[in-house]
Amino acid sequence: MDYFHQARVGKIEMKIVSTRNRTLIFIAIGWVCLFIGDRVDDLLLSQGALVATYALAIASIILLTGYSGQLSLGHSALMAVGAYVAALATNNVGLPPAYALVAATFVAGVFGLILGFAVARLSGPYLAGTTLALAVSLPTIANQFAILGGEQGIAFDVGLPPGRFGEEFSQYKWFFWICALASLIMIWFISNILSSRYGRVFRALRDNPVAASLAGINAGRLKVMAFALSAGVAGLAGGLLVMLISGVSPSAFPLSLSFSLLTGAVVTGVYNLKGVMLGGLILVAIPEIAESVVSRIGGSEGFTVALPGFLVSALLILAVVFTPNGPGHLLHKKKH
Amino acid sequence: MNQFITAVLTSLSSGAIYALMSISLVLVWRSTRVINFAQAGQAVLTTYIGYELTVRSGSYWIGLISAVLAGAIVGGVIDRFFMRPIFKRVKSGPIVMIAPVVATLGLLGLIQAVIGFIWGFTYQSIEAPVSTNGYNLFGTVIAFSPFNLMVLAVATITMILLTLLFQKTNIGLALRASAFSPEIARLSGIKVDMVRTLGWAIAGSAGGMAGMLYVPGSFLHPNAMDVLLVFGFVAAVIGGLDSLFGAVAGAMILGFAINFATSYISYKLVFTTAFGLLILVLLIKPNGLFSSSKSRKD
Repeated sequence: MDYFHQARVGKIEMKIVSTRNRTLIFIAIGWVCLFIGDRVDDLLLSQGALVATYALAIASIILLTGYSGQLSLGHSALMAVGAYVAALATNNVGLPPAYALVAATFVAGVFGLILGFAVARLSGPYLAGTTLALAVSLPTIANQFAILGGEQGIAFDVGLPPGRFGEEFSQYKWFFWICALASLIMIWFISNILSSRYGRVFRALRDNPVAASLAGINAGRLKVMAFALSAGVAGLAGGLLVMLISGVSPSAFPLSLSFSLLTGAVVTGVYNLKGVMLGGLILVAIPEIAESVVSRIGGSEGFTVALPGFLVSALLILAVVFTPNGPGHLLHKKKH
Repeated sequence: MNQFITAVLTSLSSGAIYALMSISLVLVWRSTRVINFAQAGQAVLTTYIGYELTVRSGSYWIGLISAVLAGAIVGGVIDRFFMRPIFKRVKSGPIVMIAPVVATLGLLGLIQAVIGFIWGFTYQSIEAPVSTNGYNLFGTVIAFSPFNLMVLAVATITMILLTLLFQKTNIGLALRASAFSPEIARLSGIKVDMVRTLGWAIAGSAGGMAGMLYVPGSFLHPNAMDVLLVFGFVAAVIGGLDSLFGAVAGAMILGFAINFATSYISYKLVFTTAFGLLILVLLIKPNGLFSSSKSRKD
């Protein structure tokens, strides 16, 4: 392995913004979101909400894959855990939606901790395969519990926007506010973790596991922690996603969602948290692009159904082959 | 008694299919240290080719043979023209460990989408060459048919042939040597890259055969092999990922666990059993029950 090169990669990341400046940046992004949100129509708002949700889910993949070097193919299942918890918490327990989303984060995190204890501490393909198994078996497992509502699933309704925002305040704007705010707070939290002691330890572990263990780092425990954190973030993203489609069912979390998130993470650079917004944008754009291609050139039903998957997979392969360390890295290489 | 005999027999025949899939994963894992998630795509693609030829020629056997051959070609081509360039290209940066696996995932999606383009997403079926009606045992019809027997026979013959290939021929020796220690194998004059491509080809054949044996008892769909991939992976983990014997033994354990759970407890328990077994093995003996060497932890 080319260690010199690795050291250089490490150096890019060492340009760490101070915590106060990072907080200011996030507040600025939030303010820009608020500003734009007031000036666009409902369609763009709902797409914006989806971008924020996907960005958050991609951030959870980056936290896991980019920083602990583990691969998860089952983040769709972890999102589903959060989504079901959020829906059950509002419907059956009667929690207000905001607390339901917190519960979704927490329970998905605990689920990740339990699953991670069994699997994430092992190095090798175990986590990837086990999470794949989880994602594939999710629909049948979910159908075994009557409380989860089978194929139809259960409703998740966060209700109308509060009255004090006025009559003009649309439901979509409300969704956008919730998604953007939740994503910003969570990604801010993740980026703080990644620039803390834990972030350095994660990077050390990823770049050179042997050296990290010699420095007294308990690799297994940290990997489990990374997976649990990632699962919690994915759970929140799942809760937000089903809020946008106002109900949770197994079909909302297909295996292809996991692949899309992985694509989003790899395309924007799997250890580059700054790219998540772009990743979310790409994931929202791909079905739209596919739809416009189909409406222009036509094609069979199979073509229509398979085209988004084709685009996502092709993008994933191209990204791995041409910019495996993210586009930012490519720019950096050219400068030298 | 009938229920017990049925459960044993169906365990054997479904275990045989899982074993083929598991073998195809283990073969690739041994030589490249990559779990080839695209195997589900390769297997389903070759099964579609087998399906097409079965329909055109009217003979299941022609379909089976062409699927096995197509599997070898697809597997070989993927290694030579897809995986090898990726291994050569992605050599640095933190992504180096996951890039090949991510590439196989992209390939899986790509193959499934292309199948959707060509054959669509409707469920197809392949007619079995022998009856799929259960045998009559002590006056009651059991859920084990001549077709299940045929699956068991074909898979067993394949595994015997594979064992002979690996243990008795020079090619088998080269395959084992390059998997065990590529450096030393290369020094002894084995063309490791070529042997690896051969391993991928054999794995592709095994996957194609698994698909052709699986589909007549089920349906053909672009995602039909995802389940088989998961079962193959679980079986491979039980067997320790490294040994072909372990892969077969693991597949049989999985087959028995699933069939006994479904026939004695509830028919819904297929995935729960497989997943539970996977977690149990990883908790208790993450190196697998039949791992050939202890030093292969990472």
